[in-house]
Amino acid sequence: MPVDGAKRTATRNPIDAFIHVQLAAHQLSASPAADRVTLIRRLYLVLLGLPPSPAELATFVGDRKPGAFERLVERALADPRYGERWGRHWLDVIRFAESNGFETNRERPNAWRFRDYVIAAFNDDKPYDQFIREQIAGDTLGAAVGTGFLVGGPVDIVKSPDPVLTAQQRADELDDMVNTTGTAFLGLTLGCARCHSHKFDPISHREYYALTALFAGVQHGERAQPLPTPQQARLQALEARIRERETQLARFLLPPPTATNAPRPAVDFLRNDDRFPPVAAKFVRFTIRATTGGEPGLDELEVWAGDHNVALATTGTKVTASGTLPGYEIHRLQHLNDGRLGNDHSWISSEPGRGWVQLELAQTERVERLTWGRDREGRFKDRLATDYLIEVATEPGQWREVASSAGRKPFSGAPQPAPKPVYYFEHFSATDAAEGRQRLAELQSLRQERDSVAKPTLLYAGTFTQPAATHRLHRGDPMQKRERVAPGTLGLFQPRQLAPETPEPDRRAQLADWLASPENPLTARVIVNRLWQHHFGVGLVDTPSDFGRNGSKPTHPELLDWLARELVEPTVNPGPGPVQPWSLKHLHRLILTSATWRQANTPRPDALKVDAASRLLWRFPPRRLEAEAIRDSILTVSGNLDSTPGGPSFFLHEVDRENVYHYHPKEVFSPAEARRMVYAFKVRMEQDGIFGAFDCPDGSLVMPRRNLSTTPLQALNLFNSRFMLQQAEILAARLQREAGPNPAAQVQHAWQLAFNRKPARAEAKEAVAFTRTHGLAALCRAVLNANEFLFIP
Amino acid sequence: MSQPAASLQGPLTNRRRFFADTSIGLGAIALTHLLSRQGLLGASVSGQEPIRPLIPPGQPYAPRPAHFAPRAKNVLLIFCSGGCSQLDTFDYKPELIRRHGQPLPGTEKIITFQGEQGALNRSPWAFRPRGQCGKMISDLVPHLGALADDLCFIHSMKGKTNTHGPGENYMSTGYTLDGFPSLGAWATYALGSADQSLPAYVAIPDPRGKPQNSVNNWAPGFLPAAFQGTEFNATTPIRNLARPPAFTAEHDQATRSFLRRLNERHAEQFPGDSQLAARIASYELAARMQLTIPELADLSSEPAHILRLYGADEGGSKTNELRAAYARNCILARRLVEQGVRFVQLFNGAYQTGGEGVSNWDGHKDLLNQYSLHGPVLDRPTAGLLIDLKQRGLLDDTLVVWCTEFGRMPTFQKGSQGRDHNPNGFTCWLAGAGVKKGFSHGSTDEFGYQSVEQIVTVHDLHATILHLLGLDHERLTYYHNGIERRLTDVEGDVVKNILS
Repeated sequence: MPVDGAKRTATRNPIDAFIHVQLAAHQLSASPAADRVTLIRRLYLVLLGLPPSPAELATFVGDRKPGAFERLVERALADPRYGERWGRHWLDVIRFAESNGFETNRERPNAWRFRDYVIAAFNDDKPYDQFIREQIAGDTLGAAVGTGFLVGGPVDIVKSPDPVLTAQQRADELDDMVNTTGTAFLGLTLGCARCHSHKFDPISHREYYALTALFAGVQHGERAQPLPTPQQARLQALEARIRERETQLARFLLPPPTATNAPRPAVDFLRNDDRFPPVAAKFVRFTIRATTGGEPGLDELEVWAGDHNVALATTGTKVTASGTLPGYEIHRLQHLNDGRLGNDHSWISSEPGRGWVQLELAQTERVERLTWGRDREGRFKDRLATDYLIEVATEPGQWREVASSAGRKPFSGAPQPAPKPVYYFEHFSATDAAEGRQRLAELQSLRQERDSVAKPTLLYAGTFTQPAATHRLHRGDPMQKRERVAPGTLGLFQPRQLAPETPEPDRRAQLADWLASPENPLTARVIVNRLWQHHFGVGLVDTPSDFGRNGSKPTHPELLDWLARELVEPTVNPGPGPVQPWSLKHLHRLILTSATWRQANTPRPDALKVDAASRLLWRFPPRRLEAEAIRDSILTVSGNLDSTPGGPSFFLHEVDRENVYHYHPKEVFSPAEARRMVYAFKVRMEQDGIFGAFDCPDGSLVMPRRNLSTTPLQALNLFNSRFMLQQAEILAARLQREAGPNPAAQVQHAWQLAFNRKPARAEAKEAVAFTRTHGLAALCRAVLNANEFLFIP
Repeated sequence: MSQPAASLQGPLTNRRRFFADTSIGLGAIALTHLLSRQGLLGASVSGQEPIRPLIPPGQPYAPRPAHFAPRAKNVLLIFCSGGCSQLDTFDYKPELIRRHGQPLPGTEKIITFQGEQGALNRSPWAFRPRGQCGKMISDLVPHLGALADDLCFIHSMKGKTNTHGPGENYMSTGYTLDGFPSLGAWATYALGSADQSLPAYVAIPDPRGKPQNSVNNWAPGFLPAAFQGTEFNATTPIRNLARPPAFTAEHDQATRSFLRRLNERHAEQFPGDSQLAARIASYELAARMQLTIPELADLSSEPAHILRLYGADEGGSKTNELRAAYARNCILARRLVEQGVRFVQLFNGAYQTGGEGVSNWDGHKDLLNQYSLHGPVLDRPTAGLLIDLKQRGLLDDTLVVWCTEFGRMPTFQKGSQGRDHNPNGFTCWLAGAGVKKGFSHGSTDEFGYQSVEQIVTVHDLHATILHLLGLDHERLTYYHNGIERRLTDVEGDVVKNILS
């Protein structure tokens, strides 16, 4: 029997040879090829996460020329639904979600751009080595959004003056980055080495902190995407034309009124200017005597000598202060003159309502203006200085007042519109005035265009700063710093030891190179194993993110090596076009066109006795679909799926946006929620009310392999939820529309849509009788709950 | 649900070949070299084999044997969300009263969650001796105080974090980070349940809403979803439990029967497939739950004296109404315990809404007024629950645990009338199966600031709870992402001193 079986089954490519060796060693044989209906249904569910339509099925079944399956594979690999399915697998591995987690759990409104990037990377078959590099250091490679990987994990935004808590939070953030990187790319558990040298893998306590140093400059947060070069050029051209118009219009402006008694505008949260006659200064002091509330805050203090800001730390200016609010990385005194605006780089005084800052310039300068603000990004409206004094000195202590809040309108809290220039066209000749008005109209439209071109696209992709020294932490305790540790990679292979002062982006770029190196013994094996897992349900190594000592042995080590090598240096080409190194679609082609993948799924008692889990692949092992694929399949079959790709997420929850965010699963759904579930806002902790129960991970931890558990709550959700009843009604309406009023035809069509097959005669008879008694929607409710519908055959 | 093969201690010969055979990596040699250099080849994982319970796919809640004879069959855990002050309830500190208004020595160096400290502040509530044992307990919780002879206090709890989210995670899952399985999930994963028509693990949120770190408190983490706490309380039923109102029971049953026939016909092609059988069984269990749970949650059969015992019968004021709502949750908890539900987690206090300390125990600014609501709401219903469990003989098999995410400072915050977070010392208590009665373990310093004697970490508490359930916390494991995970991470000692 085993011998016959082996003869019956073709060996279509080297994969089959590796599989057959193991089968033979266990006196097992492969199964015959599955029928075409099973093949296309399996292919669609595995590769696209949705069942095929009757039309797609008919095309494949009707293609009688040789190579029909290969052509089907090519169509499926080119289908953009592939990226939506396999991108989701990757997002599991890297714990991606769109909220911060912990009790505040606030949204990251633009994190979806990273999700779209991942989907596009799969669809475009971005070489995997490049995909790695961009996720670690995309900012250095023109792929800014890629670094969304680094900050895809949870972050505790509840900040406190408690230095222990603050240090612990930062250590947790870095640990998340180190761990996720180790898991995702190397299949290694690095977290253990946070407290001690790894017990099972060659990762020392010190190496862990060397890795930490590679990420030490990465902070959670949004970053503006650099403008693409053509857009930058356009912006420059627009600016030039704006300046030209402004020059042309200058003559229509009357000279500014001299020394009036009109009060100056009130202080503004965004930006304030204090001008005074030019004066020599070596020291500048800004003293705050009252605020709109709380300790005063300044995001940046600029001191102008002509058009030079002489306050910048980079010009050698030193800064001191009355005191700084302790415990906040984002409110350090150094932020006062670091050239970066906004609350995240601001100084806040340690005393409520008062405080001073003092600048010592590198040399004595003739200064004439100060620019300052609370938050020039406009997010924070508090802590604004309302009563202040500006003094200068050339010698220490010999202060001279040059400006103050006196003479400003009192602060009322209302935003102050910037005064607009007034053009006195009526003072000019009709011809001149007409020309002036024309120029002004042009100027306004140019400015509008400029603003829209310059509007930055924000990415939740982290911010980067040159980090302070990294130290080994005794027992992982951030309060027990030990020796300094320079950035470096693992000693696993060709270790890279970097200098302690290596610039921030270089650290990550070096790590990216090391991870993506064809010489790295783990990288290629780990990813091909993940691909294998999502084809067959279980990887060749069934611990997909643990290739370390603690993980399982591969069932087919030689096959794993061969696949890894095919990824890096392809030798076989089953597809129509050329093969690039690191092409994941190449691996898919190899796997999909193997006889192993195309086997029937029928269990055989003799084989079950030897290998109940079908790990040796004597058949294709069927398995339950995951949460997203179940929901997407239901919407597909009901005809309700909105296949719009990409863009901002839709919500499966109602959100209460208090200080702490609350997410309540929706009970009633509108067409806006009929898109694929990969586009649903991925919130940490709170699951979708229906499909979350199907072992859907929430992005709190990496989830390289989902559980496929079976629970009564799943049954309740699928049988009773309003969503499911609604979908059953919609499917019933579709059946009536497409198959007419005859229940027999409706049943036939329902089976085609949901199961891609005709019902057996007895089955059809029973279904028709059921429909006549209980209605078509009841039939649909049962069909959408059926095992056959929820399993990959 | 399959697990990695039991090859964890397997020799590395295959692995070595796995790396050595490669033609793409020189590094393979380096790895094996490093392994051997560090003496790791052939090292064993730990002294003892992990115990991973086998979960039958069709019956995830089937009862499973404990590791050794258990003292408790089930657990009722009462969680006060927000950080309940030990100093205003159970941790009596005469020195705090004596030194009221003076600075806490060393305060100038202490920066707590919200910043600087004011002076030491005695509790606004007087303490007096309670029960035969004479335990000093405050007037904030007199009904619980009256049960002092049944309670087993741990005054020397120590946490790891002073923020709520991580604090609740730590108490409920053993980790400060999100994403780890909860204590109840571990217990039901290990033991299954006695009753097959009810969920094995029920979480009862406060009438005002979920706790601060929400469903993380009863999450399955990386354990199979079957072991998550099923969430409902006396006012909010299980989502999607009820038969859709448009359908009659007959219609529903006919649809279920038709579905079953569909599934059975499909399963004929896959004889012996346990996953398919499990899904068929899950619809049967769901149907049973549809009958049993509404019956269980219907408190109308409770007699008047029971409602009175819990304080579920009084309205007329905000306090009374909230207390009655919490009391109904307490009665529900008793009914679940009575039915043999393995793990019941009852919450007092909800997420923050309307400001700090309004909806939970987070009394930063206005301790007196806020606790004047929270104390009475907790006190009588919880005491009623204990009395009722005892009079029904349920305390013989049930372990009751009262806990919170951390304690509070003996000082008032600078410029405020309340206490800041304090994970350095706080109180939990246990009662019922397997623990001493009228007993106190460990202590904080003279002001109640830091645990100093017989310190008990949250890992120790968890180890003790598992021990009482007959489980070895070092051996109960689940493999996830490269690590043989435990509830207690790599820590935890059973607190033997409190065992009866």
